[in-house]
Amino acid sequence: MKRQKTDRQKTRGISLKAVWPMGLALVGLAVFIFITISVSRLLEARSQAGPGQEIKLKAEQKKEWTGNQLSPLHRIPLNDEFNQKIVPAAPNALPFSARYSCEPCHSYTTISQGTHFNYKNRPAVDRRTEPWFLVDDKTGVQLPVSFQKYPGFWSPEKLGLSDWKFVTLFARNLNGGGPGEPADEDQTPDSRWNVSGKLEINCLGCHHRSPLQDHSEWVKQVMRENFRWAATAASGLGEVVGMASRLPSTWSIADGPNPDDHEWAVVPQVRYNPNLFDSKNNAVLALPRPEDDRCLACHSVAPRQARSRAEVDRDVHLLAGLKCVDCHRNDLGHEMVRGYEGEKLSHSTLQVQDFTCAGCHLGQKPEKGGKGFAGRLGAPRPAHRGIPRVHFERLACTVCHSGLMPKKEPQPVYTSRANRLGIFGKAVWTSDYPWIVEPVFVREADKKVYPERMVWPAFWAEIRDGEPVPVDSQEILAAAPEVFNLKEKVASLLNSLIPLAEEGLYPGVIISEYLFEPNVDGGLKTRLLEKSPVARKDKRNEFLLVQVKQEEVKHLIPDFNPDEPPAGIEDKILSMLQNLRTLSNGRQPVFLIGRYVYRITEGYLDKAEKAGEPAPAPEICWLEGEEFKPLLSDFQVRNLETIGSGPEILTEEQVALALKKMAEAKPERKYAYVASGFVFSLDKNGKLKAGEHRAARAITWPLAHNVRPAQQALGKNGCTDCHSPNSKVFFGKIEASSPLKTAHRDSRLGADLMKTGPLFQFLFGFTFLVRPAFKLVLAGCVLLMGIILVAVVLKLAGRLSGLENGPGKNSGEE
Amino acid sequence: MLFTVVSILLLIALNMRLTFGRFVLKLPEPERKISAENFKKYIRWIAGWKFSFLKLKTWDRALDYLIKWARKNYPGWTAWVFYALALCYVYLALSGMFFAWFVKRGLYGFPLLLHVAAGALFAISLTIILFLKARDFLPEKVGPEAAAQEKLGKAGFWCPLLKKNLPRIYLEAVAFWVFVVAGFLLAFSTLGSMLPYFNYPAQIFFFHVHRWSALASVLSACLAIDVMIVE
Repeated sequence: MKRQKTDRQKTRGISLKAVWPMGLALVGLAVFIFITISVSRLLEARSQAGPGQEIKLKAEQKKEWTGNQLSPLHRIPLNDEFNQKIVPAAPNALPFSARYSCEPCHSYTTISQGTHFNYKNRPAVDRRTEPWFLVDDKTGVQLPVSFQKYPGFWSPEKLGLSDWKFVTLFARNLNGGGPGEPADEDQTPDSRWNVSGKLEINCLGCHHRSPLQDHSEWVKQVMRENFRWAATAASGLGEVVGMASRLPSTWSIADGPNPDDHEWAVVPQVRYNPNLFDSKNNAVLALPRPEDDRCLACHSVAPRQARSRAEVDRDVHLLAGLKCVDCHRNDLGHEMVRGYEGEKLSHSTLQVQDFTCAGCHLGQKPEKGGKGFAGRLGAPRPAHRGIPRVHFERLACTVCHSGLMPKKEPQPVYTSRANRLGIFGKAVWTSDYPWIVEPVFVREADKKVYPERMVWPAFWAEIRDGEPVPVDSQEILAAAPEVFNLKEKVASLLNSLIPLAEEGLYPGVIISEYLFEPNVDGGLKTRLLEKSPVARKDKRNEFLLVQVKQEEVKHLIPDFNPDEPPAGIEDKILSMLQNLRTLSNGRQPVFLIGRYVYRITEGYLDKAEKAGEPAPAPEICWLEGEEFKPLLSDFQVRNLETIGSGPEILTEEQVALALKKMAEAKPERKYAYVASGFVFSLDKNGKLKAGEHRAARAITWPLAHNVRPAQQALGKNGCTDCHSPNSKVFFGKIEASSPLKTAHRDSRLGADLMKTGPLFQFLFGFTFLVRPAFKLVLAGCVLLMGIILVAVVLKLAGRLSGLENGPGKNSGEE
Repeated sequence: MLFTVVSILLLIALNMRLTFGRFVLKLPEPERKISAENFKKYIRWIAGWKFSFLKLKTWDRALDYLIKWARKNYPGWTAWVFYALALCYVYLALSGMFFAWFVKRGLYGFPLLLHVAAGALFAISLTIILFLKARDFLPEKVGPEAAAQEKLGKAGFWCPLLKKNLPRIYLEAVAFWVFVVAGFLLAFSTLGSMLPYFNYPAQIFFFHVHRWSALASVLSACLAIDVMIVE
């Protein structure tokens, strides 16, 4: 038996004894592989998930949506900030609180993580977006402020802007939440949150489909520091009167209205519109997905050259019937899909790549599984015929399809948030600064080129360890008020001359070829004259006082025989001199005519004989001691002439003077003015010098809209849309624009920002001039080679098939 | 990545095969076999090249040889066409392969500009060469030439498919026609990618056609140098 077994073993060539340890080893190996894979997957999942991932997964499992396509009419009780139901007819009813009114159904905490509310905690990977701009059009400041950490963006923390300051500066375009609702420990002494209330998330600001919803009202209320009342007033649910900004800082909501003051420090109060509530005091609100108008209140852009809205084309997606929120979607977390390639959302379950340009127009990429389907939301699939692949690898879609058409220079634009568009009222809210231009094409860190908007920062700075650190413009203004109040001062002087003007006409002044007139905001508006009566380049610092009504311009100062003054003229002179006295600053205003001087003595008009030569022409002057000085100083005339009708605010002379004054006030410190891509400071001789510093460099951020139709995309007319020796894209000059009128302006070519090298682009562009010939030659070569090859193939095929015999054989047969 | 690996392997393999063949021919008849010992000798032989490559004299001699060969095979002005073809081709192959292997982005910048310009000259000179030389490699010429070479017992090459020694003219014809077809595809794919008729997938297709035919072209050029130019 044993022998038989041994034989069998011999036949098998292997014994069970040997198999056993092998099996064990195999099982052990399998277990080892299984454990290794499991552990590595677990570790990988852990490393990918941030803190709170477990909680997030649980939240994701909870389905927020029942499948209903309708947005329900909200017939809901509104609660105030004490979570008490609002009775609209009750006296002294408080404004509604979104936190307590919406919370019963929608998690306020979850929503507050949304893109529009969590500015302070934006993910580090978030692409640059338009910063806020600290603007002061008196001192020439346009400083980018952002919670995003990118070069050139100043964080509120660095600028010493507390949440309170930040909200009071920018609440016009904030939706509440975030810095508007600081924790108690984050409240700084300068804040007045107890008076204004917190700026809660304004849900209705986006969702309220009502003609009464009014962004301008929101702005007015937040400017009055009526934070807790702003959402109620803007929604049209109630009318809010009173200004929290005028209340003492000790006031709180528990104090209620002040019965003794109905005119100045009026406590804000709501008068609810009872028609918007039902009989059970429930508000009746339509709250669907946001309409485009709500988005455009803060996100519109317009070229400055456009004189009317009719000149501006809208985004092609809107024209196709899409709404902003069709692409820029969000779930309850309100983390908006921005739609750029490589976007990563932190709190959302949405698949971001589905909403990029490629996501809709090309479908999912094949490598992501399947062939994918293009045409989401009706998006046409682009053919991109004849466009080399490098364009798709190195350019964002928006380069060719978005923003304003490139011209020789980028064009200035207004944006809602920066230039305060979309706010309506008697005053003009739109500000000229910051001066934003588009499009500039910039190569980003991912090596792709994007169309972007650009701004050169301008600010007053203290130089600390060689670094310019922004200084509060109020400090600068206080140090040199006469330098910065140039236009206001001249406007005041001109307004004082109103008594001399004919009915319906207003005083103005002509300096060089410019006519300056006071505007409603107390500044000056400027017009360039076709033909100036003071056209004298050789005679500087001269001006002519005039009276103006639209196109009608007349001399202002009356010329009469002072020995026999016409009736009423002396009353006008008296009135005018009285006005000027309020601005005299220790000097005496006088009116000179011939041998006489009109002045005010003890409240009466005094006409005295002028010492010395008679005045050649009637003139309004200041009497300083024994000397007559012109109404407008040389400094005022010179600087107004320099600024002219341009958009600039300051001249180099003003900057030098301001720096000098600041150095005198605080000699231990070193100040500078940053503008136009340079840092301006005083040299040893007190003269202005311009130096370079990275803090002065332009900042940019990518633009995505307005998207132009495919027919208007760059490249539609061929390669030479971009590639030519005089290409606007590569050789367009990008010159710094700033509030300072100066010859020192940072200047670059488009090719510099794209880091493609101007010489290469010039040569490459040049090749496109000869390219048609090149193609023709190549086509000729291909054709000839093709014919020969076909002939050879036919010949070979004939030979192989036996249809054609070789010459040798033929000759042999012969 | 696939292209880089395949192209490097193919180029190394072909050139090793060609140089090993030449090395073996230098050995005495009885030693002409594939053996470890011969391979070691071959490696030493190849390593010895580095010194000759560093010498200017080597290059000078090579150039002299090439010019002499060109004048012999391309009489009169046609020699200039050959020089143009060779010069363009050297730059095209070097720039194309270098960027394909070592630069992730591929060919760009000034080298690309020059590549395109050289490409045009290459296409023109190749067309002319085709006119001049196609006849020499047509079947009716190759057949008799092969018979003549067989008669003379000229060194041929071993064809593993047919399992017999074939005359060298066959290799010359293969090298020539592969080079021409590859050149045609190179020009065609360049032209195609420049015409406004082909969409993005077609552009990708042209790109792949271009680089793989470039590889075929380089391989055939290596073969041509070995079988046609170097004695």
